[in-house]
Amino acid sequence: MVTKTEETQLNRLENQVDNGGGGAWEYLCLVKKLKVRRPDKVLRHGLSILNDPKKRSALGPDVWTLYEQVSIAAMDCQCLDVAKDCIKVLQKQFPESKRVGRLEGILLEAKGLWAEAEKAYSSLLEDNPLDPVLHKRRVAIAKAQGNFPTAIEWLNKYLETFMADHDAWRELAEIYVSLQMYKQAAFCYEELILSQPTVPLYHLAYADVLYTLGGVENILLAKKYYASAIDLTGGKNTKALFGICLCSSAIAQLTKGRNKEDKESPELQSLAAAALEKDYKQRAPAKLLLLTSALKSLKTS
Amino acid sequence: MAEDLVLDTAIRDWVLIPLSVVMVLIGILRYFVSKLMRSSQVPDPKIVKEGQVIVRARNLRAGANFISPKSFRARRVYFCNEENGLLHVPKGQAQNAQAQMFSDPNMAMDMMKKNLSMIIPQTLTFAWVNFFFSGFVAAKIPFPLTQRFRSMLQNGIDLSTVDVSYVSSRSWYFLNLFGLRGLFSLILGEENATDDTQRMMQMSGFGFDPSKSLGAEKDSLDIIQHEWALPKFEQRAETVLKDLVG
Repeated sequence: MVTKTEETQLNRLENQVDNGGGGAWEYLCLVKKLKVRRPDKVLRHGLSILNDPKKRSALGPDVWTLYEQVSIAAMDCQCLDVAKDCIKVLQKQFPESKRVGRLEGILLEAKGLWAEAEKAYSSLLEDNPLDPVLHKRRVAIAKAQGNFPTAIEWLNKYLETFMADHDAWRELAEIYVSLQMYKQAAFCYEELILSQPTVPLYHLAYADVLYTLGGVENILLAKKYYASAIDLTGGKNTKALFGICLCSSAIAQLTKGRNKEDKESPELQSLAAAALEKDYKQRAPAKLLLLTSALKSLKTS
Repeated sequence: MAEDLVLDTAIRDWVLIPLSVVMVLIGILRYFVSKLMRSSQVPDPKIVKEGQVIVRARNLRAGANFISPKSFRARRVYFCNEENGLLHVPKGQAQNAQAQMFSDPNMAMDMMKKNLSMIIPQTLTFAWVNFFFSGFVAAKIPFPLTQRFRSMLQNGIDLSTVDVSYVSSRSWYFLNLFGLRGLFSLILGEENATDDTQRMMQMSGFGFDPSKSLGAEKDSLDIIQHEWALPKFEQRAETVLKDLVG
């Protein structure tokens, strides 16, 4: 996750470079370090550096990393000719290189030639079976083809070895959710919460999955996670506030017949409703009426 | 006893500076040679997996209070199960691995190469310093020292009445050895093979890491008591919202 200071620095550099000031190289380095996805800007500024032989030689050995970065950005923007040229330059400089082989595989993927790309990755994987990027690209091919079961299988096999890779867990969770396999998705989100307990995003997603699974215990659990999301974001997360209201009304509905009452936080729902109304008054006053009627129907149902 | 010796400036020009320059140059040379000689290491899948297992177990310990008791228990069993738990290392295997490490030709070669590239230049330089630059006072240390350092710092000087602050060039060599590390990281970038002191510390503390740390993680996981932190969050959310609304 990118921190606040890094984000402001990135935006500042971006503005500076876009408006004609210098600093394109620092911007590209920062983008690379933070692993953010800005293909159009990287492509534009990277090409401006690469096409100028003076600036190219000023970079020294870093120019090859820049070629790699620009080729990936070009493939992201579907400028496949630019990408092919960059890869050709890299191939001339580094024949028989694993990194260049990887780029060729990605180019095949970008062109949509899934079978060839898969063959390329399998042969690369034979030589170095422990390269995480190659495994992930294979999963990406399966996902792009819409072949979710294969993607899940490969991702699981990858996670058996590299089980501390939280990006992979996140990807797996999203695939499971899209396939409505909520129990497995819940497991993946638990892994994410374990590795990064202070990121409210994962609490929220986990709560959503639990609420969708249904059942009193799950909804009680979901309510707790919505509450933790509110705590982590200082009450500003609208989705969590709505989640609390929905959970409370669902719990009330499900336990109507029984006497088991949730005595832990009786005021939470009314507080959440009040916070929502305040938020809507500030930001979307036109929809306030809609909100109040929806909340009223939740309370009475 | 406390008279001040006046040291010839020629000593500075012909001993201290050339010695430093030579050590810097040898360091740079060693860096490039080690870069050339470095063979690409193929990581062993088992070791990678073990490393990742340890990280995941550590995460489980750290975040245990954020997931429900049921899921925590399920995960704990998964890790610590006697038969096929991830962290369980059968006793026979643990001994084996250490023996295997020392007999593995690749790793032994690697270790030898690294040691050689460190030991040989040091020995040569030390011998050269001793041969050329011994028998005279090279420098004065600005702070006073006790008599115990005399044998260490003054070995070429055979006068026992000279103040211990006056040292021979051998101590200048040692000073440079440990002090030029900072300079090297400036000129050679972060990773350089001249980090002798770090390597020496690593060598002395050589244990076989993976199986011991797996056992350690297993024990710590077994000990942990699960304290379900989420109910507290509901109350905290209430207070947050109260501040926001009220």
